[in-house]
Amino acid sequence: MGEPGREKERPGPSAGAGSRKERAGCGEPGRSLLFPLPVAMVVLRAGLCPGLSEDMIQLLSANGIRTVVDFVSSDLEDVAQKCSLSYKTSLCPQALVAVRRVLLAQFSAFPANGADLYEELKSSTAILPTGSPSLDQLLDSGLYTGEVTELMGAPGTGKTQVCLGIAASVSLGLKQHVLFLDSTGGFTASRLYQMLRAQTEDEEEQLEALQRVRVERVFNIYEVLRALQELRDRLSQQVVSSMGPLKVVVLDSVSAVIYPLLGGRQSEGLALMMQLSRELKTLAREFSLAVVVTNQVTRDSSTGTLKPALGRSWSFVPSTRVLLESKEATWGKCSTQRAASLAKSPRQPTGIQVELDIGNGDVLDPSLVTPTQGL
Amino acid sequence: MADAFGGAESGTQLLARLEGRSSLKNLEPCLFAEEGSPVHGDVIEFHGPEGTGKTEMLYHLIARCIIPKAEGGLEVEVMFVDTDYHFDMLRLVTILENRLAQGTEEMIKQCLGRLFLVSCSSSTQLLLTLYSLENLFCAHPSLCVLLLDSLSAFYWIDRSNGGESLTLQEMNLKKCANFLEKLVTQHHLILFATTQTLMQKSANSAESFLPLKLPHETDTDYRPYLCKSWQQMVTHRMFFSKQCNSANSKAFTVVSCHRKRNQIVKRSFSVAECGVQF
Repeated sequence: MGEPGREKERPGPSAGAGSRKERAGCGEPGRSLLFPLPVAMVVLRAGLCPGLSEDMIQLLSANGIRTVVDFVSSDLEDVAQKCSLSYKTSLCPQALVAVRRVLLAQFSAFPANGADLYEELKSSTAILPTGSPSLDQLLDSGLYTGEVTELMGAPGTGKTQVCLGIAASVSLGLKQHVLFLDSTGGFTASRLYQMLRAQTEDEEEQLEALQRVRVERVFNIYEVLRALQELRDRLSQQVVSSMGPLKVVVLDSVSAVIYPLLGGRQSEGLALMMQLSRELKTLAREFSLAVVVTNQVTRDSSTGTLKPALGRSWSFVPSTRVLLESKEATWGKCSTQRAASLAKSPRQPTGIQVELDIGNGDVLDPSLVTPTQGL
Repeated sequence: MADAFGGAESGTQLLARLEGRSSLKNLEPCLFAEEGSPVHGDVIEFHGPEGTGKTEMLYHLIARCIIPKAEGGLEVEVMFVDTDYHFDMLRLVTILENRLAQGTEEMIKQCLGRLFLVSCSSSTQLLLTLYSLENLFCAHPSLCVLLLDSLSAFYWIDRSNGGESLTLQEMNLKKCANFLEKLVTQHHLILFATTQTLMQKSANSAESFLPLKLPHETDTDYRPYLCKSWQQMVTHRMFFSKQCNSANSKAFTVVSCHRKRNQIVKRSFSVAECGVQF
């Protein structure tokens, strides 16, 4: 299983990733302007950047400068004075300044211009239909890529059904791939197949759509982080074969993997949760994916309204939040009607409510119908 | 540009640094209690729980800055540092479209040309990025507003990485705060930073030992948790909250206070298609 990839232990920028100049702008297809190389806060070592020689490292280390941060924030004039005592010309002040500039360029994030970013977003952002017209209406035409959308609700309110509906709609309608991370065991391929059968009669299409949905069972946070890291690696290398154009990542449910970590006085659990949230958001942004997570609800002690579980820190993470609630069921009949309301949105006023039907009215599994006639 | 030694800069650089920054008095009078605010060197903190309009207020300020003078804006350049990957470019474009008389693509791109964006993935990277942005500030005299959303994004991760020692936990943020202060004073910037309400206000009576607890702070859900260096450099602190009377679901409140002069002003605003409206 291994440890989750903590920031410090992430692999540093590899030589193969190319220099900054190549990467900035249009160098790498599918890679946004804003995303620099991952930062592994590094101890200075020879060859980390051009001009950083072993001699320089030793001199710096003698002055208490061991990491990139130390170097960049130190007073180079001071260090340079000690340099001038050395007979080696490679340690002259200009060399130090040059190395500082290179290190900064290598490890800091590069600012992008708003106009360029807008151009890029216009072409890479997509709005994905969820398979339910009323839900699309709630979300202002559908799921936006580049964002994390949260579905919250009590157990049995249909969160997994909505996720399956999204998977069906995207894989069949848009012919795009979906990654479904299932942490509750709620994913059933037969239900997905049922939904696909309701949308098209063509068996060939149904099978192709099924193949575009990839399911991974993940039962703790480390498995989730590993699955996301693997996804990132695949997408970065643009391996087209098994993982075609991916557009949606579903995590059902995030509360199941985070709950065991929270509580107690250590902040480790919260740090892991924030790391997961960063990973989800950067994946969404960098690769133009729509990330959907499902969450439980709790009742607010002071106002009595329903709020998402996992606490305050998590509440800042998703851009859009939809609350699913069951409607009053009439006796003897289990209703498939749900009410979906918008709890948070970057572009619509909150409080809008629509009705959803999570069942498939046409298709009824014969085995579920119990014979009631008397014998 | 001032070289790494902080040595001599040329005459033009000096002029650019001191005079090039235009006045931002009219940035948003509704937010500030006193006339003539904000001034260069101010550090304004937006604090509040989720969904209370902090990021919307930042979009409002960006729009005010980048829209040309002919259309009622200030025509200055803005640097936006995004630590949460929360920035929604399409939302900003919608706001611009609604505010510009002719919302043509050309006009919008021209406005967006005055906006610089940078995303940071860790507090260390934030620190290094701030160092590298110094050159940008020197080179662009009309770049006088720095927006940071949000400063508390790395709080839990830093706390966990710092182990048991509070000093280690706060070290990166402290360095960032100190360097931000240096940037703001040296380059005459105005800094707006958001911080999230991550913790519940403690009912602990030990809190009453904190000196000078201003009256507004006891009302709002404010529990300071970021490092002292940051808390001391803030000149204005603004508390955002959502109005509970659910008649109007769009009503938000901002309580703005000047730390030293103890002046408080409370305003309501709503968020529409065109952004924040007072």
